[in-house]
Amino acid sequence: MNTRVLINTEERQQAPSKTDARLQQATTPPQSVSKPDYDMLETQLDAIKSEVKDKIGAEDAAYIRRIILIQRICEWSGRILLMLGFLQPLLWVAGVLSLAAAKILDNMEIGHNVMHGQYDWMNDSHINSKRYEWDIACDGASWNRVHNYEHHTYTNIIGKDRDFGYGLLRLSNDFRWRVKNLWQFATYILLSVMFQWGVSYHEMAAERVFFGKKKDSRKNQVTHSELKKRFFSKGARQLVKDYVLFPLLAGPLFLWVLSGNLIANLLRNLWTSTIIFCGHFTGDVETFKAEDCKNETRGQWYYRQALGSSNIKGGNLFHVLTGHLSFQVEHHLFPDIPARRYREMAPKVQAVFKQHGMHYNTGSFWKQYASVLKRIVRYSFP
Amino acid sequence: MLIQQFKPAWRDGYYRAQVEAVRNLSSDMLEVILKPEKAWPSHIAGQHIALTIEVNGRLTTRVFTVACGASFHRETKNIRLITKVNNEGALTPYLSSVTPNTWVNISAPKGNFTLPNTDKPVLMVAGGSGITPFIAMLEDANENKLIHRAPVHLLYFAKPNEHVLQSELLALQKRANNFTFAVLTRQKDGDVKDYLSHFADAHWLVCGPKAMYEQVREVAKLVRATLDSEHFAALPTVNIGSLSEKETFSLMHNGQHLSVNNQKSLLSQLQEAKQPVTYGCGMGICHQCQCVKKRGVVRDTRTGELSDSAEQLIQLCVSQAVTDLEIQL
Repeated sequence: MNTRVLINTEERQQAPSKTDARLQQATTPPQSVSKPDYDMLETQLDAIKSEVKDKIGAEDAAYIRRIILIQRICEWSGRILLMLGFLQPLLWVAGVLSLAAAKILDNMEIGHNVMHGQYDWMNDSHINSKRYEWDIACDGASWNRVHNYEHHTYTNIIGKDRDFGYGLLRLSNDFRWRVKNLWQFATYILLSVMFQWGVSYHEMAAERVFFGKKKDSRKNQVTHSELKKRFFSKGARQLVKDYVLFPLLAGPLFLWVLSGNLIANLLRNLWTSTIIFCGHFTGDVETFKAEDCKNETRGQWYYRQALGSSNIKGGNLFHVLTGHLSFQVEHHLFPDIPARRYREMAPKVQAVFKQHGMHYNTGSFWKQYASVLKRIVRYSFP
Repeated sequence: MLIQQFKPAWRDGYYRAQVEAVRNLSSDMLEVILKPEKAWPSHIAGQHIALTIEVNGRLTTRVFTVACGASFHRETKNIRLITKVNNEGALTPYLSSVTPNTWVNISAPKGNFTLPNTDKPVLMVAGGSGITPFIAMLEDANENKLIHRAPVHLLYFAKPNEHVLQSELLALQKRANNFTFAVLTRQKDGDVKDYLSHFADAHWLVCGPKAMYEQVREVAKLVRATLDSEHFAALPTVNIGSLSEKETFSLMHNGQHLSVNNQKSLLSQLQEAKQPVTYGCGMGICHQCQCVKKRGVVRDTRTGELSDSAEQLIQLCVSQAVTDLEIQL
């Protein structure tokens, strides 16, 4: 469990140009310093992909099955330990942590990755992007549309990728400053605490299902009533499960279980939100304009993915608990390669970036997190 | 996944079976003995099952005829599959390395290629591994004394020295006085057609490669014989050289037919035909247009890779037809 994957050694040398870029970003729309040879970039990254693709097999199938097994064990031992809190409160604490770990594993290493189609090649009717449903308030299909399609195709294109600030936070000068941005740090904290509901409501917010001006230009593949139905049914199912069903099953231990579930959900929300913010909203992450991305080639798409994400360094357990989204750069380049393979791809990707003079955004968790917080605060002001 | 700890290979919608033995019948024929779980509904001789095994992490499915009678299953609780090993195949090359006691998945028995309930004589025409349903039928017919009602004759065509299970056929012939068989090779013993014309008044059953089936069907039409058949059309052949030339295939989806070519993606052709289809990025990233391909082979437009021919998930936006297809939108 102690295999550490160290990624960046070049970081310090690039530091000066990074500050320049940041200054530039604050005043003008971000422009990267040099444009790479897109065709060459495409060939090189495609080669990394096909090399790993050839290796994918029994090992990856065994891995995801093992993670699912661990997740199930964590979940059930967690739920049982919660009820033993009356014997020894520490057991309850262990239960909360175990259940939170189960939810995190389910949402990140299993749910997120399986729903990306990373394991579709297995032909397993239980482990594929069409069938998997996760332990979170968000309906899987809705997330698939917004995340897999909009976010991964139009990454960081202002106006197309609604994940950039989630329509709640102003994270670049591409958005006009509004008074509400003054307290967006509080909004951010609230979003983190309620993250599963934020994710769940995300598609409906953009579709203006309940509030706001309807946008005629949007082509809808799903009707508003369907969206509402799925939102409420999945949301209700989650609420009933964690706050009614399991507490009731515990009988006199109702409150132990209820509070345990609440805290486990809270821990999961904070963890997932923090990891995702560190992957997308660190100081150096760039944004793009829709008109610049018309008719873009695969190479240009790779380039945009590369500059729209950032990595976090950490140990083996850390990577698993982030669902390997600590390799957000690799994930955005190769969204349907089994995530555990990002580790071996990272050094190769980094070498390619270096050759093209592209910035490979990585750093320790605290460095990246500080950078995110700074960005949220910075754009609170005009 | 927890259930799988106690019941290996437990999968919703499949039956489980344990491999008892795997042995070579000849250089390229393999015999697999399986012990299906108790809940498995037994077969009627002549029916087939889908066998699913994990090949390098990938669940791979192929259809095989059950090469034993229902009586054999009743007595031994086992069933037998016989297959020709196709070295380029997705499943059969791995079968020989499956160790006894491995758990695999099988489907319920399917198909209606069974011994007809008739007083007429029966003519069986087998080509290569097409012998398997007949072995099953003869085993059960012998058991049920059906063979005594009307004479049964089997024409068994295969390449020289590739006839399998001849000892079993001989034993059957000894037990039943009205079953006879002839072991033939197509090149040496002439055309299939020459043998058939003598049996115009019989009920014909044919199982073998498509080309052979077509010959038999022609003769059956001429002599007006009743014909039941099962032929290996399940594995379509892809002509790699002709991929650049425009070709048209039929696409069946949700009960509708559409003709598609091998030049454009399936997604764009479905859209042109105004079919209701969910889609997203159009470049193979988002998996919105993913659907279940029931059968047929598609080509990945990004890598040129050909898919498996069995059921699997495909992304319409990066798939082109290279054979006839059936999909579920």
